[in-house]
Amino acid sequence: MDEPKVGVFLSEGGNQSSKVLDYDALASFAKNVAKVVLVERAKEFWRGDGLKAIVNAVKTKKLNRVVVAERLPKLSEVNIVKAVEKAGLNPFLVEVIDLEDHCARPHRNKPAEATAKAKAMLLAAIERAKLLEPLEKLEFPALKSILVIGGGIAGMQTAEDLAELGFEVQLVEKEPFLGGLASRAGRFFPTDDCAICIQAPSTDVKSITHTSRKCVYRSGFTEIQNLNVLTNSKITAVEGVPGNYRVTIEKKPRYVDEQKCIRCNLCAEVCPVEVPDDYNVKLKKRKAIYINIPEVYPPVYVIDEKACKFHECEKCVKVCPTKAVELDQKTEKKTLNVGAIVVATGFEEYDPSVIKEYHYGEYPDVVTNLQLARMIDCFGPTGGSIIRPSTREPAKRIVFVQCVGSRDRRWNPWCSSICCMISLKNAMLVKSADPETDVTICYIDIRTTGREHEYYYERARDMGIKFVKGRPTEIAHDPEDNTLIVDVEDAVSRKFLELEADLVVLATSMVPTQGTKELASMLGIELEQDGFFKEYNAKLRPTETKRKGIFLCGGATFPKDAPTSSLHAHSAALKAAKFLSTGKIVKDQKTAVIDDEYCGDCEFCPVTCPYGAISLVQKGEDHFVAQVSELQCEGCGICVGTCPLNAIELRHYRPSQMLAQMKALMSVNGTSKPLILAICCSECGHTAVDSSGMAMLEYPANVRVMKVPCTGILQIHQILEAFKAGAQGVMVVGCKTDGCHYEVGSPKAKKKVELAKMLLKEYGIEPERLEMFNLVYIEGDKFAEVAQTMTEKLEKMSPLQLSSS
Amino acid sequence: MAHGKTAKSSGKTFLEEVRHMLGGETLASCYQCGTCASSCPVARVSERFNPREVIRQSLLGEKEEILFGDALWLCCSCYNCQERCPQKVEIADVFYALRNLAIREGKMPNIYSEFSAGLMSEGKIVPMSKFLEKKRADYGLPPLKPANMDTLRKILSATGFDKLKKKEEPQ
Repeated sequence: MDEPKVGVFLSEGGNQSSKVLDYDALASFAKNVAKVVLVERAKEFWRGDGLKAIVNAVKTKKLNRVVVAERLPKLSEVNIVKAVEKAGLNPFLVEVIDLEDHCARPHRNKPAEATAKAKAMLLAAIERAKLLEPLEKLEFPALKSILVIGGGIAGMQTAEDLAELGFEVQLVEKEPFLGGLASRAGRFFPTDDCAICIQAPSTDVKSITHTSRKCVYRSGFTEIQNLNVLTNSKITAVEGVPGNYRVTIEKKPRYVDEQKCIRCNLCAEVCPVEVPDDYNVKLKKRKAIYINIPEVYPPVYVIDEKACKFHECEKCVKVCPTKAVELDQKTEKKTLNVGAIVVATGFEEYDPSVIKEYHYGEYPDVVTNLQLARMIDCFGPTGGSIIRPSTREPAKRIVFVQCVGSRDRRWNPWCSSICCMISLKNAMLVKSADPETDVTICYIDIRTTGREHEYYYERARDMGIKFVKGRPTEIAHDPEDNTLIVDVEDAVSRKFLELEADLVVLATSMVPTQGTKELASMLGIELEQDGFFKEYNAKLRPTETKRKGIFLCGGATFPKDAPTSSLHAHSAALKAAKFLSTGKIVKDQKTAVIDDEYCGDCEFCPVTCPYGAISLVQKGEDHFVAQVSELQCEGCGICVGTCPLNAIELRHYRPSQMLAQMKALMSVNGTSKPLILAICCSECGHTAVDSSGMAMLEYPANVRVMKVPCTGILQIHQILEAFKAGAQGVMVVGCKTDGCHYEVGSPKAKKKVELAKMLLKEYGIEPERLEMFNLVYIEGDKFAEVAQTMTEKLEKMSPLQLSSS
Repeated sequence: MAHGKTAKSSGKTFLEEVRHMLGGETLASCYQCGTCASSCPVARVSERFNPREVIRQSLLGEKEEILFGDALWLCCSCYNCQERCPQKVEIADVFYALRNLAIREGKMPNIYSEFSAGLMSEGKIVPMSKFLEKKRADYGLPPLKPANMDTLRKILSATGFDKLKKKEEPQ
């Protein structure tokens, strides 16, 4: 590499800075640092003439390192780096520091001390800049094809969006038919729409309008260009990297040719096998060859493998007029190559039979909301009438029990959020079909948080539905007149009620669909404690996961009503499209590098990397070395802090660069106080320092800040080196342990600091000289406070004397 | 329900006090669903006791009402409520904590002082009578041996039981 030629640009723009700092002294100080060829001063350098001056200097003076002291570096750095890149210099050779918020403002009452600290900060930036290396912009190819897992309301809408945007979409559904849980709900709140009503894709050229809504089966959904629907299929393996995943699918046979079946129902008529119908939650029986409801997609019968007698019977084969039944179809294995994956696996009803006091599964007239919804659906098992399953007589007295299995620490502690509205909807549908029906809802709290939802509750009261504030303790059965008795205290009237009912409806909890755990482990993404998929960040990245190119939508992250699932689905589609839109993934090269010579067989880094970016590859007979996927590496450096052999370095934050910076920061004191090195993570730690400056808070100038990507990068010997470099105390400032932006970095640093303290004690150094602080960005006041108390604590100790310092 | 005049002034401290006692830890989890009330055999027959309301008063810090009232002493410890509480509030155990607190404040119903006197003098909360002795013989049970009072007194003294005294009669 060329000999470093450093240009230093001092912005005096901030009022505070120009009043406090002695810029003449700073400029002459910088000029005398080795390899500095140019020092310029201006009001500001991050825009307008100042920026032009940098560009000009880079071009004319052939600068190859640029150090800028500028206000609001997190904002100005973007502009400066872009301009420098245009001028032909590698953008990674620029170092921007903040003399205002990190120096002039917090030390405004001690100008001499502030100027001394500014010198140290300038020197640190220059020394670091000299050691910076040019890095490349990396590009990785990405396939413009997407796999959507789950064909419910969320998956279908995501798939439709993406297909219409021009991506090749594979929609995989484990059931033989599309529609998911939503399609079984009969009606949706708060619109009272049919549950199978979806937005019609624009394939429907004849009748598409801006407001088109159609049944799943009329929508022509499966005819969308670029969309391939694979029903009866499941994911068995996922390999590859973001932009290029290889997914293995197992497609179970339908035993009916999709092209030949004409849905005449003759096969089901002759089929001799009857089994409980899962689609209708066992409220009726169906044949071994069946479709769920007439409006299903795809409109093709299917054979239930577990029930069919196959060649022993063959009645359907013989009766089929189009010879569509093919009993010898085999399971197909398919490999799909996709750039991204959207998980839309939804949720399902919890089986309430574990709650013994409600006797679900024992008393046939105790049903779930989904079962009631199936009864309300005119294509359902009862043709739309509400009956008591025990006698098939009309149910005239109905009691709903809310929060069954949810908000219950014994089963599922969360509020499933939609069950109040589901019960209100079902209660009103029942009541409007027959106003004579006596309907009572037993609740703990009625939660109607969505738009129009409170109006729904109002209407329910208006219709004469009764509300009892209390959670029943037991549902009893009187065998004499086959009546159910719901035992409940109405807390409002303080009365103990024994509600007689023909039908009791349990508003059961909503839980992740079966197989969620297995799918998560195949995809390499995490689940929350509740078992639903974990989003990257609930506030800002609600449809993304820790793994690039894997997105989430709909009920897979938590139970959602249809409008919210829709919203989530469209949002995920946009994120996936954005990810693949250019056909390549571009990222910088601030990645970890492994020295093969030192790397030796341990598995620390692959296990620790929060992004699964490190794997072990074989080198020699039984020697393995770690390998970093530059595509997946997020540049946190946690692996560096983990490696017991110092075999890993992070580009742009190499130990040599950090050491030079450390030494420089400790080289000038200028105060009478003991020097403290504050090692701050680039996320909350460093920004907390910013915000303390912005808030004009004061702390002593002996506190010197060094930025690292994540505190997880720290190695114990690095902390010791800080003392060797002259620090009397070291503060490690990271994110909250449960809010680390790189997940595990800050808790790991915390442990490491504890270890380092033990080591310090061994060396006869007071362990209190080292502390870890966990702050969030806005806690500038806390930073100022701990900087102050740390200084006071160190002032009480006698100065640290290390042999080499 | 009694009017809670102490809700604001001493609310937090009372809640904290109960939560720091053995059995009282889970008190704050209650969300007043009333499963305990409808599970309670006593509440069914007596208006004087409703477990949900006692918990509610504790949460609001109505210390006087709870400790001076008699509701607390009516729990029959069947544990129905505790078994079914969806928030895993250890309701019956909370009542034990509250009773201990009441006794510490010198509020002990007569029957309990009789129990404790019996325990300290004879080692039995129910004194033996001719009737009971005969019943035992009828059932073929051996006659009861006298309790080892030395050991028992040591235990009662070590646990501070012997110092529990009532100061006044609850209303």
